[in-house]
Amino acid sequence: MLRAWLDYHRATLAWKCEGLSDDQLREAAVPPSTLTLLGLVRHLAEVERWWFRVVFAREPDVEIFPSDGAGDGEWRHLDIANVAADFAAWGKECDAARAIEAAAASLDDTGRWASDSNPDQPLEPSLRWILTHMIEEYARHNGHVDLLRERIDGQTGD
Amino acid sequence: MTSELVWPSHDAPEREMLVAFVEFHRATLLQKCEGLTDAQLRQRSVPPSSMSLIGLVRHCTEVERNWFQRVLQRQQIDGIYYSDDDPDGEFDNVETANVEEDFAIFRETCAESRRATNAAESLDVTGVRRGKDVSLRWILTHVIEEYARHNGHADFLRECIDGRTGN
Repeated sequence: MLRAWLDYHRATLAWKCEGLSDDQLREAAVPPSTLTLLGLVRHLAEVERWWFRVVFAREPDVEIFPSDGAGDGEWRHLDIANVAADFAAWGKECDAARAIEAAAASLDDTGRWASDSNPDQPLEPSLRWILTHMIEEYARHNGHVDLLRERIDGQTGD
Repeated sequence: MTSELVWPSHDAPEREMLVAFVEFHRATLLQKCEGLTDAQLRQRSVPPSSMSLIGLVRHCTEVERNWFQRVLQRQQIDGIYYSDDDPDGEFDNVETANVEEDFAIFRETCAESRRATNAAESLDVTGVRRGKDVSLRWILTHVIEEYARHNGHADFLRECIDGRTGN
């Protein structure tokens, strides 16, 4: 059930981005917010990577869109972004996440996450928590996506 | 009107965790409404969308009533804000809304949802939606994603009213 809800929201994001030009995907359509559809796709690629590959599967933390002193890379330099490559990167992270989740023995299995502010007391979220959090994280961003898309070309619905 | 956000514990058992995520989003919606005038709460600040923050609160009241009273508890109840003749009344009729009363109804409805949830023996208890059984587990998960999506709407509505972001 959790898997189905997460895939529903992944599919919703993909559908909401369909039929738009690269410029429309880059448009910050709800100012003063700087969020864009492309930025959200790149953000969710990083979110997928973080929770499934880094926290749960304990892979090294290597950003897809490298950050620098000025902030998170996924939100920046969208004007020179390769839109097709970014969507492919998101799709690849979704596939990797599905494979990791499918290989897990139980929803009670835990990942590991030592935050910068509290490195000595790592958190150990269960796969159940990660999936539930991913659903609500995607759903909230899809709320942003709803209003961005409506502003870009009037399309609504889910 | 204060609402405290508590991030759901990473290692809670399933039922406790689902309830904690629902509570997180109920509190988030109230927090997004804090410190605004009635006129700001009624503002349709992301046109052409007809949504407003008070419209979302009224809609989430109907969502709570639907899933916890109509579906889980199998009660025959009518909408508070909408009808067959006025299907989107919770969003459409905000100009004449009694804001204070709408928040009171929202809180009361959330309390009723908590009672309905607590009364269920397990997450496998079923209600009925359109003739089909749905478990409390499914209902709670759906309510989390529905609230979260509306809180995404609330994020933008609030930012366009006074610039406030974050939770």
